[in-house]
Amino acid sequence: MTENSTPALELTGIEMHYGFVRALDDIDIHVMPGEVVALLGDNGAGKSTLLKVMSGAHKPSHGSIRVHGQEQSFHAPSDAAEAGIQMVYQDLALVEPQDISTNLNMGQETLRKGPLGLLGFVDRKAMRRSSEAELDRLGVRTAPMTRPVEMLSGGQRQVVALARSAIRVNGESRGILLLDEPTAALGYEQTKNVEGLIERMAAQGIAIVIVTHDLPLCYEVADRMVILNRGKKCADVPVEGTDRDHVVGWITGSRASMFAA
Amino acid sequence: MTMTTPHVSTEVPDVAGAGADSPGPAPVPTGSDVPRAVSVLVFLRDRGIFMLWGLLILVFAFWCSPYFFTVDNAILVANAGALTALFAAGVGIGIMTGVLDLSLPGTAALASCVTGWMLTHDYNTALSLLAGLAIGVAVGLVNGAISLRGFNPIIVTIGTLSVLTGLASVVAGGYTFPGLTQLEFMGTHRYLRIGEGGSTFTGIPAPVFIVAVVFFVGTVFLTRTRDGLRLMAVGANAEAVRRAGIHSDRYKVLGFVISGVLAAVGGLVNTANVTEASPVASPGILFTALTAVALAGVALTGGRGSLPRVLVGALILATIANGLIIRGIQPYWATVATGALLLGSLMFERVLQTAVSERLMTANLSVHARN
Ligand SMILES: Nc1ncnc2c1ncn2[C@@H]1O[C@H](COP(=O)(O)OP(=O)(O)OP(=O)(O)O)[C@@H](O)[C@H]1O
Ligand SMILES: [Mg+2]
Repeated sequence: MTENSTPALELTGIEMHYGFVRALDDIDIHVMPGEVVALLGDNGAGKSTLLKVMSGAHKPSHGSIRVHGQEQSFHAPSDAAEAGIQMVYQDLALVEPQDISTNLNMGQETLRKGPLGLLGFVDRKAMRRSSEAELDRLGVRTAPMTRPVEMLSGGQRQVVALARSAIRVNGESRGILLLDEPTAALGYEQTKNVEGLIERMAAQGIAIVIVTHDLPLCYEVADRMVILNRGKKCADVPVEGTDRDHVVGWITGSRASMFAA
Repeated sequence: MTMTTPHVSTEVPDVAGAGADSPGPAPVPTGSDVPRAVSVLVFLRDRGIFMLWGLLILVFAFWCSPYFFTVDNAILVANAGALTALFAAGVGIGIMTGVLDLSLPGTAALASCVTGWMLTHDYNTALSLLAGLAIGVAVGLVNGAISLRGFNPIIVTIGTLSVLTGLASVVAGGYTFPGLTQLEFMGTHRYLRIGEGGSTFTGIPAPVFIVAVVFFVGTVFLTRTRDGLRLMAVGANAEAVRRAGIHSDRYKVLGFVISGVLAAVGGLVNTANVTEASPVASPGILFTALTAVALAGVALTGGRGSLPRVLVGALILATIANGLIIRGIQPYWATVATGALLLGSLMFERVLQTAVSERLMTANLSVHARN
């Protein structure tokens, strides 16, 4: 089977500019199905930018993206979503005045049955019920479904954003989940929940890229680490057997890149 | 508000403000949920305008007794507020969905003139009205298409306002279209009249029905349908909607189209009322509409607000004007009163908002303290 050796997501030669700022410089990165890759790097290293390229939120200036071996060109996040990619953004990307259920169902609303459904009427009760069931299945809990997001704490918002993406890739064995600092606002217990969630998702065969500044979390959940320094990839190593001091060195730039040309 | 529906419990005591209710059909609200005082304050913030209107009616009912608190006068107020309400719906939906459309008076003028021209040239009435509405759609599409290129919608719509006003004059050839009696059915005509001559009930004017339909359909659309919810979401955070995999651009354009159509409706109703189509776009109506929208507490940042409140905002303006007229007070005092009311409501809202955030904050802190 060649299937097993085809990465779920593979980016080659990615370059990305913000005006004159070069945020990404010739990045190659891939994730296998069921693999958890931690993307590490200092503030401003380009982690979020790289993830946004993967999710279709940004279009790279150069480079190619392959999803399960197929070359793709994303013009909007909807294209990436169609290819099975879901992302939790660092700024969460929630609609504050709307309630949790509406946010969770955004873009995949359940319509009412019958003629009202044809007119585009949504079935709010059904959406609330199914969202609650999905959250239960994922083992994450947050505030009541009818609570507007603006009334949630930072951690609760993060859980909502995470849950939305998780619900959408859950059960999709070819799914790809991109997480930009998903535990930054979470307490100890909730972080443990997210760890469990990531492990269960990976066990289903979902490919996961997680950006984090939390090294213990990285060692807990990730199989491989990719480290960025000022927009360049400077290390790509398995988690097992890699010294933390080396990792910190790559992150801060005090250790020479593995790929120095 | 949000606490009456059954919901799943939370197992995360360290997350501030989390509800600690038990799952099942009968949730038991506990201290760590949103405090009662906050829900009361939020209720006041969201429903305050209805109470304000009630208060005004009460005051005028006594002060202007016995002329104010009558069915006939209520109809008068409704009819007087109809035009403001239609434009306020346009401005309001625009702002809620993230655009301040300043071209509305121009759209109204061009729509009236196109309809006026067609009626004067003996086109079918329905066809002429449809053409007027189509102008609204077209203006919305143009505004939307230009704004999508990344230009500031305010500047864009100032530009189209100017273009549209000019075009309206071109259509009218420098004159107006008078004598459009074909439109009386949607202007001064009254329906549901009971009894003839010295009748018991003089009927409800057509514009009131139009306003009722517009606000009912608009409210249902914005709160119950998929496209309405997405439209509101785009108003609050277009990028979030895009990242959720939705073509948010389409909804931005839809917002412009809806406000354009409502402006056209407003223009046509006004034309019907005076049986004359004029190319003069009056920016005044825009500011009256904006006042009603602001009174309704529609946040300029978008994504928030409700049409029923906008309607009440428009009715408050009409109520004040009407009450002062009954008392024989000069109409410019109505303008003063409206302005003062608006400023007062702003401050009231600020006070409420601060109180809400303060209470939420201390509620969160206390949750942390217990752990
Ligand atoms: N919208 C933008 N416009 C211009 N420059 C940007 C923009 N977003 C990011 N940058 C720049 O691109 C670089 C990489 O930013 P990015 O957000 O990817 O960093 P990051 O690794 O996610 O950092 P952090 O850990 O702080 O989240 C930074 O130099 C940043 O200043
Ligand atoms: Mg980042």
